[in-house]
Amino acid sequence: MEWMVTVNEPGKTFLMQGNEAIVRGALEAGVRFAAAYPGSPSSEILTMLGHVADEMNLYAEWSTNENCAFQACMGASFGGVRALCVVKQNGLLTIGDALHTAALSGCKGGVVLLTADDPNAHSSTNEFDSRHQARAAGIPLLEPATFQEAKDMIVYGFELSEKIGQVVMVRSVTRICHGRGNVTLGELPESPSSPVPIGEWDKLIAINWFHDVLWAKLDQAQELFEESPFNWYSGPEQPELLIITSGTGWLYSVEAVETLGLEDKVGILKLGCTWPLPEKLVLKYLCKSPRVLVVEEVDPFLEQNVANIIAHNPGLNVQLYGRYKKSALPQSFELNPDVVLNALATLMDITYQSSKTGEVPAEAVVNIPPRDLTFCAGCPHRASFFLLKQTLRIHEGNGVVMGDIGCYTMGGQRAGHFLLHSLACMGAGINMGEGLGQLTRFGFNQPVLALAGDSTFFHSCLPGLVNARYHDSNMLFVILDNSATAMTGFQPHPGIPVNCMGQPANAMSIEKIVEAIGCPVTVADPYEIEATTQVVYDLIKKPGMKVLILRQPCATLAVRSKGRRKVWVDPELCRGDNCGCGRFCSKTWGCPGNIWNNQTGKAEIDEVVCVGCGVCASLCPAGAIKVEGGEA
Amino acid sequence: MPGGMQLKAEVLSTSACALCGACLDWCPYLKNIEDHLVLRFDCPVEHGRCYSVCPRTLTDWQAINERYLADVPYDSDIGAYQTVFRVRRLQPIQDQQDGGTVSTLLQTALDNNMVEGVLITGSGDPLTPQPYLADQEEDIRKAAGSRFLASPSLRKIMEAREKGMEKLAVVGRPCQVQALRKMDYNKPADSPPLDVLSIGLFCMWSLSWSFKDYLASTYPDLTFLRMAIPQHAVELYTNEGIKQIPVETVQSYIRPGCRYCLDMTSELADISVGAFEPEAGWNTVIVRTERGRELLDKAREANLLQIEEYPSEELERLRGASHNKKVRGLRNIKQAVDEQKLTPFIDLSSSPYREIIAESSAKEGF
Repeated sequence: MEWMVTVNEPGKTFLMQGNEAIVRGALEAGVRFAAAYPGSPSSEILTMLGHVADEMNLYAEWSTNENCAFQACMGASFGGVRALCVVKQNGLLTIGDALHTAALSGCKGGVVLLTADDPNAHSSTNEFDSRHQARAAGIPLLEPATFQEAKDMIVYGFELSEKIGQVVMVRSVTRICHGRGNVTLGELPESPSSPVPIGEWDKLIAINWFHDVLWAKLDQAQELFEESPFNWYSGPEQPELLIITSGTGWLYSVEAVETLGLEDKVGILKLGCTWPLPEKLVLKYLCKSPRVLVVEEVDPFLEQNVANIIAHNPGLNVQLYGRYKKSALPQSFELNPDVVLNALATLMDITYQSSKTGEVPAEAVVNIPPRDLTFCAGCPHRASFFLLKQTLRIHEGNGVVMGDIGCYTMGGQRAGHFLLHSLACMGAGINMGEGLGQLTRFGFNQPVLALAGDSTFFHSCLPGLVNARYHDSNMLFVILDNSATAMTGFQPHPGIPVNCMGQPANAMSIEKIVEAIGCPVTVADPYEIEATTQVVYDLIKKPGMKVLILRQPCATLAVRSKGRRKVWVDPELCRGDNCGCGRFCSKTWGCPGNIWNNQTGKAEIDEVVCVGCGVCASLCPAGAIKVEGGEA
Repeated sequence: MPGGMQLKAEVLSTSACALCGACLDWCPYLKNIEDHLVLRFDCPVEHGRCYSVCPRTLTDWQAINERYLADVPYDSDIGAYQTVFRVRRLQPIQDQQDGGTVSTLLQTALDNNMVEGVLITGSGDPLTPQPYLADQEEDIRKAAGSRFLASPSLRKIMEAREKGMEKLAVVGRPCQVQALRKMDYNKPADSPPLDVLSIGLFCMWSLSWSFKDYLASTYPDLTFLRMAIPQHAVELYTNEGIKQIPVETVQSYIRPGCRYCLDMTSELADISVGAFEPEAGWNTVIVRTERGRELLDKAREANLLQIEEYPSEELERLRGASHNKKVRGLRNIKQAVDEQKLTPFIDLSSSPYREIIAESSAKEGF
């Protein structure tokens, strides 16, 4: 689909994914520098920019973390070019300090910070609302409600950023990023923005002297927002109820009003510029209606800012409804048309029989068994969790495992035998483990383990590792090195020798980094379950700070280059349900490649999904699973 | 018969496990490292072999004794036996513990094709017992000398089956001999044939592997060559001579499961071998079954062993020591059962337990 983002046919309309529209917007804005750390739902954006980097004469990088990405954008901006930083809501929080200081210093070349939120946390651990960060830092905020706006707001964001010398946040959500809609293309520039020399007295200083300057920039943005075409009203002159909405809330609101036939009674004020609010515009419509419903994802951000306007205008007589205290809408989780329909029907005293959300229509019901989230067939994480779990059980010391963020987060569930005791944010495992490991001096005697993937290791574990080594915490830090940022789609990280533009990169060795800080490090293969179990057992009995790298490339990736070996079950040897097995391969090991034939009462291999890792063959107590060319 | 989850509840979680290793045979759910034996993952099997072979699940030992030692006179202290001898090897071998009798009997069994292989415990290091299957004399010699750290060596039975062995000699602690008998007594109809010649060891207790950690931290620079427990002392032979370790220190490392043991002399074995306390360099040998007698006879015929009559006063001492272990074991079992810390694996109200409890209660307040 990448041809669509670079095709130079202004005025032509294409069906585009939201993330494609954002990329197109960046290209139309002449972006020269783009940096990101992968995170759903925004991961596709930088991948596409990396692919077209050569063609469009821009630079793109998967930065080691979001902080690197954002501050790299600030550096590029200082050099005069337009820079796009892409994050998800969690990534935005890791930028906190950098964002607040950038807001004080302002920028030179335009900087757009695209944050993609994930209401309902479809592919996240939380549904944090990024918009608070824009208000907290004091930077303008735009919220696209359509795929067209997803493109247009990027272009506008860069213009605004340069006009007022401030970073601009554009906040998308999963339904925009991953949905598709019509986008009419604008013009691509002849060439992207070009570097401008930095003079001796050009500065980029973040210091409190500029706090008033920051407010002045916001005032300037507010004036521009009053006239912005991203904000508009539709509906009767004097509505019985006014809906104020932003982002996908607008789509749900339009559908609700049309479905209930309330076009003559309910008006919709759609806002694309949500911080600072275009106060005059909002006031104009607040005066017209006694009741206001605010529809937005996720937190009552817009609602409370509207409440702020109401509080500062005592003449207004408005009853405000929204998500705050569930006055009309649920306080948590993603909205949908039905939820908004019900809220509107209730407020307008209309009987509306909704379809029950989540209920599968009878015609759609087929015989699909419920499935757990699990690791892919052959995933080295399955082997790692299996051997870590069994080692801790065998050790009988009630080992505690602090988790982290990545594919292996799923190891906290059945796929990983519920191994993880904690789940927080990127880099949390090593730091929480460090603290727990220090309690040994007070009699805490359970082994402490912390996990992190290779990408997470580079992202946010290095300071934690240094800290744990310096203070010699009693812990074992296990790096699950699958040589990929697998969760988000195999983006490169500093351990991978090719960057996102397909150019060679200076990959570095994790064990050399660990060795360099003086930490004992062991490298083992998770596929070698028996031998590696002994390695882990020996390590957790040792005091002090230790590191274990469990290295085996992501099987989904490896099978593409190495091909797969054939694995099969010898039915003569398979013990089936009997003692001595009890379907160990399909029930306990649990790889999707290990299946059960109810007719024969024997195990089988699902050749469609099996990648030929052969680990199950080493676990079968009857030796019934055979691997082409012998065991793994 | 229940399965792995019950084994975990009744035996593994209560620390009653004797670490014989019989349950590990065939099973992918049970696993050990050193002396930690656990159900590594929940077992869905409702009727498990593990439960049926475990010497610490409810067993009618009298019935098993009836099956395998029916025609042998029963002694309430040291079990059914034909004769007791004092025995030693005529040509001593390196590292032999006392009289070198066990190594000699194994060699005899192999030489006379009584078995195809032997399951023994040994390793280069006397403190890390590793079980292995041997089928030649050289390998047997490497295993010479006692290991006092418990090893679940019966897990190797599977390997013997996989190698197609049908006749196997097994050297084991009393709990392991019990498990071997239960394995046969409860074997499923379709079970592959495996004929075991059991050479039972005398055993007061075995030690937890944390004893090794204790030694490593107490004597970080020493190499340990051998361990022996002559009367009232524990001796460690090291590269710098013999180190005496207080008995109390060693006792604190006794595996909890051993405190429930009622068998000092491997009463269900074909032949039992232990130290001969009054004189170093000799073994006590209890001949129990016809097979045990045949094995000893063959070793005698081959001029490998010197076999002498057993002093009657020493037999009384042996019976007394064995009796005392039963009294201690029963006391520990009864206390743990009363405190609901243990699922009873014997019927305390049956004979001979009832009598022993009654007798010792009268004597010292059980």
